[in-house]
Amino acid sequence: MAAARKRILKEYTECSNDTPPGMKINFDEQNMTEWEILMDGPEQSVYSGGHFKLRLTFPNEYPFKPPVVSFKTKIYHPNVSNDDKGSMCLGMLRPDAWKPPNKVISVLHLVRTLLIEPNVDDAIEASIASEFKDNKKGFEKTAKEWVKQYAK
Amino acid sequence: MPSDEELAHLQKLSNEYEPQVTGPLVGERQSSSAITTEYANADPVYRTKTAALPSKYSHYRTCRGDGHCGWRAIAFTYFEALLRVGDKNRFLEEETRLRSLRNLLNTIGFQEHLYEDFADECFDLLRRTGAAIPAVDDSAATELLASFNDVGISMAIITYFKLLTSAWIQTHPDDFQPFLEFGQDIKQYCSTQIEPSICEIDHIGMSALAEVLVKPAGFAMEVLYLDRSPGDQVTEYNFDPLGHDGLPLHNPPTMRLLYRPGHYDILYKIEDVQSPIVSQAPLHVNLAGYTDDFVPMSRGMSDVMTLIPGLYPTGMGGQNWPSVSYDYQPTRVPQPQMAPVSSYAPVPVSAPNQEYTNPVHQNVPLDPPVNMPLNPLMANESARGGPFRPSVYELEPGFHSGQAPLQFQTSIFRNSHYNTAHFLNPDFQPEEWTPDSEYVTTNRSRHKSTSQ
Repeated sequence: MAAARKRILKEYTECSNDTPPGMKINFDEQNMTEWEILMDGPEQSVYSGGHFKLRLTFPNEYPFKPPVVSFKTKIYHPNVSNDDKGSMCLGMLRPDAWKPPNKVISVLHLVRTLLIEPNVDDAIEASIASEFKDNKKGFEKTAKEWVKQYAK
Repeated sequence: MPSDEELAHLQKLSNEYEPQVTGPLVGERQSSSAITTEYANADPVYRTKTAALPSKYSHYRTCRGDGHCGWRAIAFTYFEALLRVGDKNRFLEEETRLRSLRNLLNTIGFQEHLYEDFADECFDLLRRTGAAIPAVDDSAATELLASFNDVGISMAIITYFKLLTSAWIQTHPDDFQPFLEFGQDIKQYCSTQIEPSICEIDHIGMSALAEVLVKPAGFAMEVLYLDRSPGDQVTEYNFDPLGHDGLPLHNPPTMRLLYRPGHYDILYKIEDVQSPIVSQAPLHVNLAGYTDDFVPMSRGMSDVMTLIPGLYPTGMGGQNWPSVSYDYQPTRVPQPQMAPVSSYAPVPVSAPNQEYTNPVHQNVPLDPPVNMPLNPLMANESARGGPFRPSVYELEPGFHSGQAPLQFQTSIFRNSHYNTAHFLNPDFQPEEWTPDSEYVTTNRSRHKSTSQ
């Protein structure tokens, strides 16, 4: 655990020195395994204008297991589970693909990139993914409505 | 046909699935007959193969099958092999060598501030186990087992070795590219098959780890494949280290693994299990006279240094230098006391075949023949004040010629093989009972040796 804390501190230092645009990290030294991240919807995306709250949770086995990303603000997105967890689990965040030297800042960049360009081939919400593929207009409309409704 | 959502759900379950595995990460050493028992009701091929196992491999140790067992088995046996060598300095040497591999990792683009935590755990364990040597009890082995059962330490060391392996593969693409699936990118391969934290070792990874970790340490690795292939013996695969001369090392410490499809455990031969070579007070062997049976070990940068006798003292204290350790040879080298030493037989000191200098710590009282001057002529000369300073202890000329079997002052020496009357003495000559001497009281030593 001591090793995990040391690593988390290092990661925080790196992230706070080079925070991805539109992100703010609330770091609590008393509870450093849970980060609260405030994120503005990227301008070039349908989520522009929204403010999203995310939680980044580091498991006890970190860095040998991946951190868990969850959206606390509801979001209409094929890669975010549409339930109270709002979890995002793909790519490097997958337990079988996670590498201990992966950086948290790359995780933050991944989240931001996914908001700009959802990954429909690796979707957790299959219905949203197929809507994104077949009816992009309809998807964008709902996404924008959700931003207005939940992310203001 | 399940719907997409069901599939997605199943996929999610499958991603989150973790096999329920129990048992220690690395188990206690136990008799290998347990393997035979385990397979008693199995397929006949297994039965035959496992029946033959305990005769060759006396003990084994289980590793928890949590998807890291291969990596962990190699890492553990690597530390254990170092422990078996039983030389404190080897631990320092290995640490120095591994530290120097930093460049390898950096070349590949691993970031030092990220991997140093993993590497530090490894160095830390090297230092802790090294510090417990020479172990009176098996405290070092206990420490090692406890550390490997700590998930944090165990995983950190595995991760460090994975990064080394990945870096090795990527810096030696020609050696490994042919074994990849056609057209697979080597970097891609490493990032999906070597580096992820849940990822068991495959043959490519094992070969690379052998190259970067095992062989340069002077260890051999032996993998026994227990599967259903025909035959009555388990299939063996060896990774043999080469010395500087490019020839295989003679009798290197060997790490042995047992592979059953999907799982690795650790095996031992009886000679691995026997208590590690008892490290006595370091033997200071005369370098000049010490030429026989020396097997060069891979020692990295220290080689040049060790060629200079006496450059470094042997007790290196806390220094991080790989130290000269010529005074200790981990493999079985005849120990000087045990070697047939011819100097006790009454041969002339100038005999050309006497290349063996007496180890200094032998507290054998020097017996007359060795003290003899080079030839009787000179002895006479010295008595007359020739080139040599006269000594009060000088023997009278002709003293030796009249001496029957050597006289030994203490019973320890009389009963040792240095006594020519001992059957292990190369110049064995049984003592004969001479009834006459029994009653001769003027010859004091004669009297003493026969009356006891």
